Amino acid sequence: MSHSMFEVRVAAIEEVAPMIREFCFEPVQGSLPSFSPGSHILVEMPARPRPYRNAYSLLSDPRDARHYRIAVRLQERSRGGSRFMHEQVQCGDNLRISAPANLFAPYWPAKKHLLIAGGVGITPFLSFLPEFVRRQQNFELHYLFRSQQTGAYRDSLRQGLGQALHLYDSSQGQRCDLHALLARQSPGTHVYICGPQSLIDTVTFLAQELGWPRSCVHFETFTAAQPGQAFSVELARSGQTLAVEPEESLLEALEGAGVDLPNLCRGGVCGQCVTRVLEGAVEHRDAFLSAEEKSRQDCIMPCVSRAQGHHLKLDL
Amino acid sequence: MSAMAMIKSRPIYAQPRRDERAKMHLFVHQGTIDARLDALYQALAESERALCCLASTEERSLLESELARLPLASALYVAGEEAFLWDVRNLARQQGWVDEQIHLAPPLQGQRRVFCTHCYSLMEGVRFSPVICTGCARPLLVRDHFSRLHGAYVGVQINVEDPADLPEEEPLT
Repeated sequence: MSHSMFEVRVAAIEEVAPMIREFCFEPVQGSLPSFSPGSHILVEMPARPRPYRNAYSLLSDPRDARHYRIAVRLQERSRGGSRFMHEQVQCGDNLRISAPANLFAPYWPAKKHLLIAGGVGITPFLSFLPEFVRRQQNFELHYLFRSQQTGAYRDSLRQGLGQALHLYDSSQGQRCDLHALLARQSPGTHVYICGPQSLIDTVTFLAQELGWPRSCVHFETFTAAQPGQAFSVELARSGQTLAVEPEESLLEALEGAGVDLPNLCRGGVCGQCVTRVLEGAVEHRDAFLSAEEKSRQDCIMPCVSRAQGHHLKLDL
Repeated sequence: MSAMAMIKSRPIYAQPRRDERAKMHLFVHQGTIDARLDALYQALAESERALCCLASTEERSLLESELARLPLASALYVAGEEAFLWDVRNLARQQGWVDEQIHLAPPLQGQRRVFCTHCYSLMEGVRFSPVICTGCARPLLVRDHFSRLHGAYVGVQINVEDPADLPEEEPLT
């Protein structure tokens, strides 16, 4: 890893929605590094045959350095990370985490912050809100969820936010008219989206249709690597050849062979792990490279992307 | 002057084209209308354009009300002297506009607003370097180092080491 990992202790685990568990971490020694609203950490889960490392947003108040809190939704089609967190991790266990990094900070000069959360996508906004209140920012939170699965933190949000909170429970047929919501915003509004890819795609599409400047639209999605077919990867500089298993990401395979690449998100967002491709076609699955860069087929984000065929040769 | 050419903060301007994303287009001119921007303006339907002619940003309340009135999906085109362009851009940003929406037409070269790094005075329409600071009377070398916040080039005292060493005036580009 390019960044140092350190140990924390699981101080509490709480079920905050039917499929979402909150984990509270406390330092094993010393204190926790401070963080800014929108930050995330990588959590390493000591699974076999290889550890999982997933990114989770910090949802605690950035001013509270005593604890870090994260929320983990059990993914039905998980490669194992969320299942490990839900089924294996107990109170009192030690886990290794990275220092916080931020790829989703609020744009402070905005006149208004329009937050749109889908399900467990509420988490980064929970670290925005205390700071918004302290800085007297103009904001609205629109929270879309299914109460039979998600919808955590509604009661505390209701108490803290009042009029600024808008809830839409699709289990009760409540829908958010995203087009109308975006269409009524005035200049200086920035929209932030966190949730499923379909929500992000819908809002970014509507914003484009409505003529919003791109730089007023911010989103974050951490999707852990999805499985694919096995392939082999040849490392041009070291001459090594590695096998990448269906359930394993290319980044994990490289790490397993002792090749450490810089990475912050492990979800195709931050761009740190970009690697030159010398041979083979890439199945791009990231949200970092532009369409033009993807079509050139000369680089890959190993955290999520894979080979289209059975072979890749990398400049490593 | 070859070292000066390397300074990255000096803005590079391109003739504005229609911002295809925008639904409303605001044109701000200093004094007379720039012919090339006027062509862009004329090509738009009346319902999707607005025009603001200002002698200077002293008339800022008119501009501010336009900037606040227009929808989020707007573009701003500005023509005039360089310092004026950046004053308008900074007013727009204060109203929540982002740089992506703001298009600055190439200004007339050869005159600059200068910011004195010693007494923080601003001087308008400076055509030669060195220039004597109107605030502190120091002779200032006018650099290509540009402050977007002030819309000004940085001026630093040129004869600190030897007060007798005062280079010839050179016209600014």
